[in-house]
Amino acid sequence: MTWRMAWRNLWRHRTRTLIMTSAVAFSYALFLVSMGMGDNGHAQMLEAAAEGAGGDVLVHADGYWDNRSSDLVIRNAQTVLNAVESAAGVEVAIPRVLVNGLVSSAAGNRPVMLQGIVPEREIALQDYAEDLEAGEFLTESTRDDPLILGATIVEKLKLELGDRVVLTASDPEGEVTRALFHLTGIVETGLPETDEGLALTTLDAAQTAVAMDGMLTQIGVIVADGATPDSVAAAIHAAADVQGNGLEVMTWREAIPEMVAFIEIDDAFLYIYIVVIFAVVAFAIANTFLMAVMERVREFGLLNALGLRGGGVARLLLAETVLMTLLALAVGFTLGYSGHLAMDHWGIPVGGWGVEDMEISGANFADLVMRSTVNPGKWIMATLAVALITIGSALYPAYKASSLAPSEAMRFYE
Amino acid sequence: MNEHTAPSNGPRDGDVATWDNGALIRVRDLTRVYHQGTLEVHALRGVNLDVGEGEFTALSGPSGSGKTTLLNIIGVLDHPTSGSVKVDGVDVSTMNRGEAADFRLATAGFIFQAYNLVPVLTAYENAEFTLMLKGVSRSERRDRVVPLLERVGLAGMMDRKPHELSGGQQQRVAIVRALATEPKIILADEPTANLDSETSAELLDLMLELNRDLNTTFLFSTHDPVVIERARRVLKLLDGRVADSVGQAA
Repeated sequence: MTWRMAWRNLWRHRTRTLIMTSAVAFSYALFLVSMGMGDNGHAQMLEAAAEGAGGDVLVHADGYWDNRSSDLVIRNAQTVLNAVESAAGVEVAIPRVLVNGLVSSAAGNRPVMLQGIVPEREIALQDYAEDLEAGEFLTESTRDDPLILGATIVEKLKLELGDRVVLTASDPEGEVTRALFHLTGIVETGLPETDEGLALTTLDAAQTAVAMDGMLTQIGVIVADGATPDSVAAAIHAAADVQGNGLEVMTWREAIPEMVAFIEIDDAFLYIYIVVIFAVVAFAIANTFLMAVMERVREFGLLNALGLRGGGVARLLLAETVLMTLLALAVGFTLGYSGHLAMDHWGIPVGGWGVEDMEISGANFADLVMRSTVNPGKWIMATLAVALITIGSALYPAYKASSLAPSEAMRFYE
Repeated sequence: MNEHTAPSNGPRDGDVATWDNGALIRVRDLTRVYHQGTLEVHALRGVNLDVGEGEFTALSGPSGSGKTTLLNIIGVLDHPTSGSVKVDGVDVSTMNRGEAADFRLATAGFIFQAYNLVPVLTAYENAEFTLMLKGVSRSERRDRVVPLLERVGLAGMMDRKPHELSGGQQQRVAIVRALATEPKIILADEPTANLDSETSAELLDLMLELNRDLNTTFLFSTHDPVVIERARRVLKLLDGRVADSVGQAA
C-alpha cells in the first residue's frame, strides 16, 4: 500500500513532481554528458601528450631530456634498439635523431629542430603525411637528402619545392657540421611552434648530416594493449643495460609532468563543477520536499491520527522520493545517453572556439574535437551518487513529516 | 452535579450511567492550557467525565468551549496539561507518539468534520486503510469492508476516489473506515458540520443503528440540533468545563 499510495501521490501533484523530476533528470543527464566529454577530452589529451612527448616510454642518453644537448646520444644504437624491442609490452620502438640547428637559404636562416625519422615506424605514433601541404612525404621521395619543412619556415626563407637548403648543427663531438638538403615537402600543422620549427628527414640522412652514424638521440616506445608505460619502462630497464649504456628511461608522464598536472587539475575542476551542480539541485529538491511536506501537513496528520506511526509516514515520503528518483534516473539516463551518442557522432570541434593554437608541453590540440566516452564504472558510480543525493535530500523532510503532532497537523483546535 | 470534583464509587448525578469500575472512558481533573506567545489559553479547566460502553453521547457547546480539545485528548491526538484520561482501563495521557498511534489503531475510530479521506485512495481503499495498518489479510479486509460499504449505501461506488463522491458519501466512507477495525469507541468531531440537514439526519440514523447493532461507543462533538436530538446523552461544555448533562447513559 505504501508504494501504491506513493505512486499515486506523485501523480496527484503532477506539476510539482514534474518540476522535481526534471530538475534531477536534467542535472543527471548533464552530469553524464559532462563526464563523458571530460573522459574523452582527457583520453585525447593523453594521446596528444604521448604523441608530443614522442611515445609512451622514451629512451635517451642519460641527461638528454633535461639538457637537450647534441652530445648526449645513444651510441651503440642498434644494440639498444634491439634490446628495447625485445622488452615485454613493447608494441613499436621508434628510433629518432633530434638535432637543433639552423636552416639557411639565400633569404636568410631559421632555427629548427631536425628530426631524422623512420616514417614506417613513426606512423604508429603520428602521421606527418596528413599535414603535408605540398610536395611529397619521406616515404615517396627518391632523394637521399630529402627535407620537409614547416610552412612558416618555407615562407620566411622564400623557398620552393626542390630548392637546396643548408643545415648547420653541432655533431656529438661538438664540431659544427654543414649538410645539404633538398626541400621535398611542406607541412602545415596549424601549430605555430611546429610550423616555425619543424624539419623532417629520414633517419639515415640525419645521421649522415650530423655525423651520427650508428647513433640515436631518442627511442620512442608505443606500449602494447594490456601493458602500461610503467611496466614497459621497467621491462626496458631490465632488458637494455641502462647503466652500462648510459641511458635514461622515462614514461611520458615523467617526461612532461606539467601535462599530467594539467589533466589532473582539469579532472578535479570537472568534479568540483559536478558537485556544485548537485549541491544546488539537492538543496532545491530538499526545499521543494520540505514545502511539499508543509503543504501536506494535514494529510500526514490524518495518517498519523488513523494509526500510522511516524516511521510509516516517513516511509511513505521516502517511497515517493525513491519512485521519483527512479523516474528521474530513467529520463536522465535517456537524455544523457542520447547526449553522449550525439556528442560521439558529431562532436564539437574545439578549433572553432579559437583554441586552435593551444599547445601544452608539445602536445598538439589543433585537431581536437570534443566527443564523449562512456566509462561504465564511472557512470554507475554517478548514477548511485545521484540516487543517494536525491533520496538523501528527502531525509529531513521525511523526519519533519514523521514528527508532526497529529492534532496540530489537522488544525484540530477550536 | 455536572462536573466531578472528586471520584467516587457508584453512579453519580450528572454522569448518570458511569461507574468507577465500568466506565469505558474516564476523565479526571483534565486541564489543557495552550500558549500563544505570552498568552495562556485555558481550553479545558478541570473536566471530569465518565462514558460507559455502548453510549451514544454528544458533547455540545459553543465554539471555544473545549469540545474538540476534549475529543483530541481522549483520542490521544493531544496531551493534557494535567489530569488523567483512561480508556478501557489504560491511562492514555502519558503515551508517547508511537504508543498513541498504536492505541488509536487498536481502540479508537475517528470521524472528522472535513471527512479527511486519503485523496489518492478509492472509497474501498480508504475504508480498508486502518485494517491494513493492523495487518489484516486481504480477504478478511474485503469480508469486513464490503458489507459495511453496502450497508451505508456505497455498494456501487467502491472504486471512486474521494473527489468523485459527495460530502455525505465521503462521510459514509469515513464512518466505514472508523468502524472497520471494530473499535471500542468512535470519536466524531462535528461529523455533520459540512452536510445538509437531510444528509445529517440520514447519517446520524445510520450511526445510531450501528451503535445499537455493534454496541460501539460513540462520542460526538457538535452543535448540530440533528445530532443533539438523537444523542441519548448530551454533555454541555462551557468555557472548558462540563456545564450540564442531559439524558441517560447506556
